[in-house]
Amino acid sequence: MRALLNAVKTGFSEIWGHKTRSVLSFLAIAVGSVVFIDAFSAIFATYNRLQQQKAVSGMARLKLTQNSGLAYASTEDYTPPPPIQYEDVVNLREKMPELYMISPEVRTWHNVFEYGGRRMVTSLTGVTPEWIKRDYIYMLRGRFLDWHDVDNKLRVCVLMRKSALPPINGFYKSRMRQWNYTANFDTMVDHNDLLGKTVIIDGFTFTVIGILEELPYSKRPSTILGSNQDYKVLAPVTTLSHYGFVRPNQSLEVNIDTGNERTFEESIRRLKNFLKIRFGYEESGDEEYFIIENQLDLIKERIGDSIKASLVTISLGMLAFIAGGIGIMNVTLATVFARTKEIGIRRAIGASRGDIMLQFIVEAVMLGLIGGVLGSAIGYLWGVPVKVMVGMDASHIKPWMPLVSVFIAVMTAFVFAIYPAWVAAGLKPADALRAE
Amino acid sequence: MTIRCSDLVKTYEGGKAGWPALRGVSFEIKAGEFVAVTGHSGCGKSTLLNIIGLLDDPSGGQYEFNGRDVLSMSDQERSSARLGEIGFVFQAFHLLNRLSSIENVCLPMMYAGADAREMKARAASLLHKVGLKGKERKTPLELSGGERQRVAIARALANSPKIILADEPTGNLDSVSSREIVDMLFGLNAEGITIIMVTHDKEIAARARRNIRLRDGRLEQ
Ligand SMILES: Nc1ncnc2c1ncn2[C@@H]1O[C@H](COP(=O)(O)OP(=O)(O)OP(=O)(O)O)[C@@H](O)[C@H]1O
Ligand SMILES: [Mg+2]
Repeated sequence: MRALLNAVKTGFSEIWGHKTRSVLSFLAIAVGSVVFIDAFSAIFATYNRLQQQKAVSGMARLKLTQNSGLAYASTEDYTPPPPIQYEDVVNLREKMPELYMISPEVRTWHNVFEYGGRRMVTSLTGVTPEWIKRDYIYMLRGRFLDWHDVDNKLRVCVLMRKSALPPINGFYKSRMRQWNYTANFDTMVDHNDLLGKTVIIDGFTFTVIGILEELPYSKRPSTILGSNQDYKVLAPVTTLSHYGFVRPNQSLEVNIDTGNERTFEESIRRLKNFLKIRFGYEESGDEEYFIIENQLDLIKERIGDSIKASLVTISLGMLAFIAGGIGIMNVTLATVFARTKEIGIRRAIGASRGDIMLQFIVEAVMLGLIGGVLGSAIGYLWGVPVKVMVGMDASHIKPWMPLVSVFIAVMTAFVFAIYPAWVAAGLKPADALRAE
Repeated sequence: MTIRCSDLVKTYEGGKAGWPALRGVSFEIKAGEFVAVTGHSGCGKSTLLNIIGLLDDPSGGQYEFNGRDVLSMSDQERSSARLGEIGFVFQAFHLLNRLSSIENVCLPMMYAGADAREMKARAASLLHKVGLKGKERKTPLELSGGERQRVAIARALANSPKIILADEPTGNLDSVSSREIVDMLFGLNAEGITIIMVTHDKEIAARARRNIRLRDGRLEQ
């Protein structure tokens, strides 16, 4: 203990006595710290985003769609696959109540929307109240569709209010203007408070019961599946078929979250069974009427990708530390050679190999400690105030990140000082004394 | 405190082949002796002293330090023998120039794990003893050669050694300082400390009770 204290004291006077050399080694290790903190906070942000996305999108997701790509031997054989209809969804709900979400969706395009004497093109999506269970990244004013609306096929709707686009380049902007045929509708919803108003869609009056506002881009948790469906008007799925907005043979798409990853395969099996009993299989081929898109695998793949990217980032941070460590090793080795005579003197008056080793290791660890603290401070300044000033998002630096970084800096210095310290301790006293 | 050597041989790696620095040196030194080691330059005096002081290993022969076989001692044991039983005084002083004289004197006590306050007090009294009262804060670079050698002697005395090894302690000093240093060593010998001193000075050698004369790595009888 006392030996350690003395080594620390000697270390301080050495560091103080060789300021240039010390500052350079601080910097070497500090750079490591900065990179590490930056990398670590980036990983942490990725992890947080993934958690958020999981919460928003769920994991055990699948999508049931009609298989419109069935192959037939000849045109005479052609029988379209049966459509999935709302009754089937109700039926499935009864058979598999354990599923977290069964959200049917049907889309119509180029509907005419009238309000205040103006007409514009929009697009309808038929949904049920289950729609809000997943990928719901909006703020609601008014209320959402409820089961009463669906059961009674009420002509009520919820409008989507777009947030401003993120900064994008001019070319893309002009493309957007060219292709976005509902731009007028978006502007209308943006500039008029339509909540509670009566609007006309394809000649039918609808009451606007809610407005879903998109969160601004920076605050919006993205969905893992990244489905940007660009919804415009949501109405009960039953209403749309009752009033003829969709053809009777138009199939619903069904988004499902089984709610449980462990029983996911079992749920798929039961779903297939349900479809088989309800629709049977196509006689001639072995292809099926429906496609069950396993989104869990996709989600897992996406998560795996971002974990891989994180590993790359963290290994960059570690590389920076190794570079810093080599810097420390270099400095310590140079110190050993510069102080060979001193080592000899200390050995002559009774210092053991262990004492010499301790002295050099303690000195290097102190360099690492000071460098780590310095680097963490710079890393924090870079990660929060500087990045914000430059206009980037602040890093998510948790209080323990600088601590971990300092710890790693110290450990790096320690590990890389072992060899030089061992060299120093290995010098024969008589030889060391002869050095100049 | 006895030193018993028999057939000591030292061959330096990279040295002239067939020309060992020591070739079969045997002698015994008893506690309380004052021994002057003499011989012309290059005859192996420093080599012998380094081996006696456990700073270097002999290439052959036996060496018993205070009843212990040196060849079987670990580095830890040798270090603690140097720390507690041997004091060194070198021609080139070998002080740490960054430290003040009192800190230099404290160094061996520090390695011995002494209490900081006692350490300071003892170092101060040792500096007083060698006549450097008031120069405790000066660094070696601010002292004369004679004064530096006094600091070195104070340092050698720090852990109350039984033996002091001095390799030409007056080699870099003028005659007045030389005399003072040698007198000091004789004084310490009178206090019971064994002294082995390498010297070129015939007068000093004559004052010593015993001489070991080396010639080309052998004892001259
Ligand atoms: N490290 C070494 N490597 C090789 N040869 C050495 C080494 N040290 C000493 N020698 C050789 O060993 C011999 C004895 O050297 P040593 O230093 O013991 O002589 P010395 O008697 O102390 O001489 P001086 O009076 O000049 O100090 C010399 O021939 C010298 O060249
Ligand atoms: Mg010599």
